[in-house]
Amino acid sequence: MLTHEFSLKQKPKRVVLIGAKGFIGQVLHRQLVGQEIETLALTSSDVDLTAAGAAKRLADIFDEQDCVIMLAALTPDRGRDIATFQANLVIAESVCEALRRQPVAHVIYMSSDAVYSMATTRISEQTPAAPDDLYGLMHRTRELMFKQVGAAPLAILRSTMVAGVGDTHNSYGPNRFRRQAKEQGFIQLGGKGEETRDHIYSEDVAALVIEIIQRRSSGLLNAVTGKSYSFHEVANLVSERARKPVTVKTSERTTQITHRSFDTTATNKAFPGFTFMQLPDALNLILEQEPI
Amino acid sequence: MPLPTIGFAGMTHLGLNSAVAGAERGFEMVCFDLDKNTIEELLSGHPPVEEPDLKELMVKHKDRIRFTSNIEELANCDVVYVAPDIPTDDMGQSDLTVVNELLQAVDDALPISSVLVVLSQVPPGFSRGLNLREGRSYYYQVETLIFGRAIERALYPERYIIGCADPSKPLEASYEAFLSAHECPLLPMRYESAELAKISINCCLVASVSVANTLAELCENIGADWSEIVPALKLDRRIGQYSYLSPGLGISGGNLERDLTTVCEFSDKFGTDSGIVKAWIANSRYRKDWVLRLLHQEVFSFLENPKFAVLGLSYKENTHSTKNSPSLALLKYLKDFEVAVHDPVVSANVLPNLDLRQVEEPVETCDGADVLIIMTPWPIYRNLKPSDLLKSMRTKMIIDPYRVLGGGACRVAGARYFTLGVNDL
Repeated sequence: MLTHEFSLKQKPKRVVLIGAKGFIGQVLHRQLVGQEIETLALTSSDVDLTAAGAAKRLADIFDEQDCVIMLAALTPDRGRDIATFQANLVIAESVCEALRRQPVAHVIYMSSDAVYSMATTRISEQTPAAPDDLYGLMHRTRELMFKQVGAAPLAILRSTMVAGVGDTHNSYGPNRFRRQAKEQGFIQLGGKGEETRDHIYSEDVAALVIEIIQRRSSGLLNAVTGKSYSFHEVANLVSERARKPVTVKTSERTTQITHRSFDTTATNKAFPGFTFMQLPDALNLILEQEPI
Repeated sequence: MPLPTIGFAGMTHLGLNSAVAGAERGFEMVCFDLDKNTIEELLSGHPPVEEPDLKELMVKHKDRIRFTSNIEELANCDVVYVAPDIPTDDMGQSDLTVVNELLQAVDDALPISSVLVVLSQVPPGFSRGLNLREGRSYYYQVETLIFGRAIERALYPERYIIGCADPSKPLEASYEAFLSAHECPLLPMRYESAELAKISINCCLVASVSVANTLAELCENIGADWSEIVPALKLDRRIGQYSYLSPGLGISGGNLERDLTTVCEFSDKFGTDSGIVKAWIANSRYRKDWVLRLLHQEVFSFLENPKFAVLGLSYKENTHSTKNSPSLALLKYLKDFEVAVHDPVVSANVLPNLDLRQVEEPVETCDGADVLIIMTPWPIYRNLKPSDLLKSMRTKMIIDPYRVLGGGACRVAGARYFTLGVNDL
């Protein structure tokens, strides 16, 4: 649930984007610039958050009127191991320490739906966080770290799987399917791709963050569409939009089938006018820009 | 033994309806309330609550019912019921201040020979912890109030559950005489059992409602019709014909939520697993937003500035009560839109912060509307003709969770129709 500090939208004095070079960061940066919101886009080359003294350097950059958006993380494609887990905590520790030194007006932490157990089907913001792996635990830990700083209204956005142009994660789903279809001419499913998942368009995630910025919202929200598709359906959606024939291959199942669907009521209540693009329409736009 | 005189302290929904029903059963009733305005209104024939048959019975038995704001007049009663409202907060927790204060005042005012009975719902442990005058006979009687059917329930209870200090001892003669006049089984038990019996009944109700809501939603997605399944359940003796199996918009009214909260609190205290009760609460909150989810799915994505007609503000039919009303919860989220509302009893002023247009006739709500939503199944709405409602609507969409109008008639009249428990577009 989110509560809004501003009943009407207001532009923040400045947005500081930490992790601006990443997949979501780039989309968000472009939308912020498009809406003429002053933005300081920080990447790892500006401030290495794993280096000693990172917190002080970041604190020197922050201003008390800033809205800070924390996107920086080593994503699962960089490993789901203990070392990645610890590196991610160090990154968050630097940002939290900087916020302690120099409080700001608003903080948004981009978390993940990996904080929910895979055994949970219908998920809402009331669903207890119960991560099944280190990646989910990392996000949950970072959420608690930012909460503990407590120096500014904090919004935590738990995003489901994101589909969009320019994704480098290659995680199982629309982005990997596009890549496989383009490079190999087929899409490889795990089992028959029976699992259902929610996929959100990258532009929608960014738009939702900007809503939160402009209302200075605090609390917890899942960034989800509410509509789940099986991976088999997703593979078919991709292959139907390919310019050349693409085969969808199944395999012998080795893992249990798990489904996920989300309740979007909290988003509907927080942002009554906000609508999500459904996956087929999002794929149309993505494949127009990155044809296969 | 002459018929005992019965007193009621607290002219609440529960107190007033129980007292009027007692008069219908032939007893002399003394009806006390601290609030002089309430007594004056009652004396002029205007009850503060809406219930079928209430006004008529008040007129019929005006010689047998004495309304008073003088607590000393209760001293002539053989049995006095204490029945104030027990308010609950947003978390479902009870505030017992009022009942404690009223009990103290009545205990002081009554001769020691009079029997004192608490009828309001109290949490387990309340009765045993009371500090009444030495020698006072005190009972806790489980109330069976159902809003919209209060008189009927008070006249024809299926049983009386009576909490006693010692259930092996006979009930006081005057009290038993009053209860026996209702010709139903009497179930004396220790105070704590009676207090938990009420909660147990409500938990069973919530279990039925939660089953109905969950399975009805599956029907909406897989092509089944919950209304076809219900008769099969009603014929099963393990479930029975009186089960609460109608899907609805969550648990409303406040009393069931209070009991769920109480169970969770006691479970936490004693280390009992209350996961199932917490799941009922979550299920109720989820289902309460059914209309809102539907509007986002079917309306807001397609229509700019849709206009709404909403029929019903009370939390259910035949009552003025709006506590935890799904209708009011929905209207708060329609504040940016043009909304016309109608309710036979409740005024739109209950939502003073919203700019709602209240109309006199249900059909008028539909003038220029895109979506008609029937949020309370008042009987008068069942007589409405879909063709009359649709005549002046722009987009012909009807959301009717409780099947007041029925899908067949609405579709024949040209509407897109949505209800709980089926998806038969």
